[in-house]
Amino acid sequence: MRPILELRNLKMYYDTQAGEVKAADDVSFTLNEGESIGLVGESGCGKTSISMSIMKLLPENARIISGNIFFDGKDIVKLSNDEMNKIRWAGISMVFQAAMNSLNPVYRVGDQIIEAITTHEPNVTFEEARQRVANLYKLVGLDPERMDNYPHEYSGGMKQRAVIAMSLACNPKLIIADEPTTALDVIVQDTILRELEKVQKKLNMSMIYISHDIAVIAEVASRIAIMYAGKIVEMSDSVTIFKRPAHPYTVGLMSSFPSIRGEKKELVTIPGEPPNLLNAPDHCRFAPRCPFATDECWKSVPSYSEIETNHFVACFHPQNLKKRVSANV
Amino acid sequence: MSDNEVVIKVENLNKFFPMKKSVFSRAKHFLHAVDEINFEIKRGKVLSLVGESGCGKTTTGKTLLKLYEPTAGKITFLGKDVTHLLNAEDKKWFHSKTQMIFQDPFESLNPRKTIFDIVSEPMNIQNFGTLRKRELMVMDILKRVGISPPDAFLWRYPHELSGGQRQRVAIARALVMKPEFVVADEPTSMLDVSIRTQVMKLMMELIKEMNMSFLYITHDLAVARYMADEISVMYLGRMVEYADSEELINNPLHPYTKALISAVPVPDPEFKRKSVEIKGGIGKPIDPLPRCRFYERCPFAMEVCSQKEPELIEVKENHKVACFLYERR
Repeated sequence: MRPILELRNLKMYYDTQAGEVKAADDVSFTLNEGESIGLVGESGCGKTSISMSIMKLLPENARIISGNIFFDGKDIVKLSNDEMNKIRWAGISMVFQAAMNSLNPVYRVGDQIIEAITTHEPNVTFEEARQRVANLYKLVGLDPERMDNYPHEYSGGMKQRAVIAMSLACNPKLIIADEPTTALDVIVQDTILRELEKVQKKLNMSMIYISHDIAVIAEVASRIAIMYAGKIVEMSDSVTIFKRPAHPYTVGLMSSFPSIRGEKKELVTIPGEPPNLLNAPDHCRFAPRCPFATDECWKSVPSYSEIETNHFVACFHPQNLKKRVSANV
Repeated sequence: MSDNEVVIKVENLNKFFPMKKSVFSRAKHFLHAVDEINFEIKRGKVLSLVGESGCGKTTTGKTLLKLYEPTAGKITFLGKDVTHLLNAEDKKWFHSKTQMIFQDPFESLNPRKTIFDIVSEPMNIQNFGTLRKRELMVMDILKRVGISPPDAFLWRYPHELSGGQRQRVAIARALVMKPEFVVADEPTSMLDVSIRTQVMKLMMELIKEMNMSFLYITHDLAVARYMADEISVMYLGRMVEYADSEELINNPLHPYTKALISAVPVPDPEFKRKSVEIKGGIGKPIDPLPRCRFYERCPFAMEVCSQKEPELIEVKENHKVACFLYERR
């Protein structure tokens, strides 16, 4: 398998009046062709900052301090805006959070997708583009006849499908789906997730799913990265993450999720609240909430290292290396 | 106060909203937001209303607390008919004993009031106690909901608090007058995963401690399973199934409940869900035809389903379902 995207020690900070906010701090991961990975974390942990860095859609006060983002072998950190414009949508596209609001209400939905196609591929005629949109509609389970409707005539789930169709318009190699189903009802969420998975397999695309919901990620991603306070604290294939989580935060997250399957379990809470990323401390950021924290954790930042094959953890006291998930942290 | 005392009882509750074209025209069409709903909640028990958005869960909650005037039906609270509260004294009595917790703690707290003002407002309205007494009660309830030390927070404003703390303040405001019945409308859906479990556990403790009755409105069956003694599933204004929570989760009868349960993502990557295919999306109950509202989407639809509306009948002990599949013919 060929890597399509590689983040190497990416540091992205926001300058604010109050100081530096380390939204992504030393983040590294590799995504292979045709693979889907899930980025899980609570709000404010830097998930969206990472996706915005990959798309280079950063606000003015954000800076990529150091590190590289290789897309298809090219470091996109160094690219100019014009060069980046060619990669956006054609190479990497994105399904935004609250996609229902990302459609323009005064244009027909189909025309908005056609616009995306003709902007990136000027040779394509209007008719060809229209035909392509019709095919995309079929692909995501929408009736092509609805192309000439306006966004307000669509239901929430249909808008979400349309936005997914739009993200596929220029045959991108990588799609970043940022909370693609968060505002939707369960049944609609279920069908959209299945649709996305099907399309991804069919077109052999790479995919980054961003969500706070580990149950959603469990269904769609083959590898999972857990983020906490601007850092990836644990990364492995999804079965390992769920069956043998090593970082205390992951362990806590797994057992604090109510499930409708199996026995009704006592939920475990993680005490405290996620830290402010402003002027982040130079010790383990989870230490204040961690039941296993020792002096070591308060003195230095644990390195992100491989504890077993393809299982990376940033913790001095990794858990469950031999045993299965214990419910009591 | 016996343990089996019925705190609130709802009989054939209806709430229709007129669909007016303009202020001056007469309504010709009605949206049946809540249609013939029956239930009762005993002291210290939690009933959860579950359903997709637009199914009438919130309207039911608001009508119960008289934030909407019911169109028809009867609400009995502590043995007293409160369907139409006519005199001021009754109103005061009713509203001092019932409270509501809202979904979004960022919107439900007045940004220009201090925490003390917010939490003591119910006492203000009820003209309860002296200032000194109110202060003690506010401190007491804040400590109880985990805002500690309370005196450090009394004079702060909502923007200085995190989302979890704000929801705790909202809970404190609802519970400061020691209500007997509380409607909680998706109180944890805006919170982060690790905070959500904390708030859920807190509410469970408080319900037990204060022996309150709760109506817990949520779209998340997993949360309902954890919080509630009984679950009721709503679809387009109708109650389609009603049972003890474990019974409902493990042994759903109504096709809609089955679909809903099968659509909930499971936090286990090795588990493959069986999907129940239901067609189309949820509509709006505007002037509904006298037939099963799930008819068009139901994979088991029969002829009789299109001819009349199924009644909610008890098919097992404490398990009611409104579906012709289970009606004895």
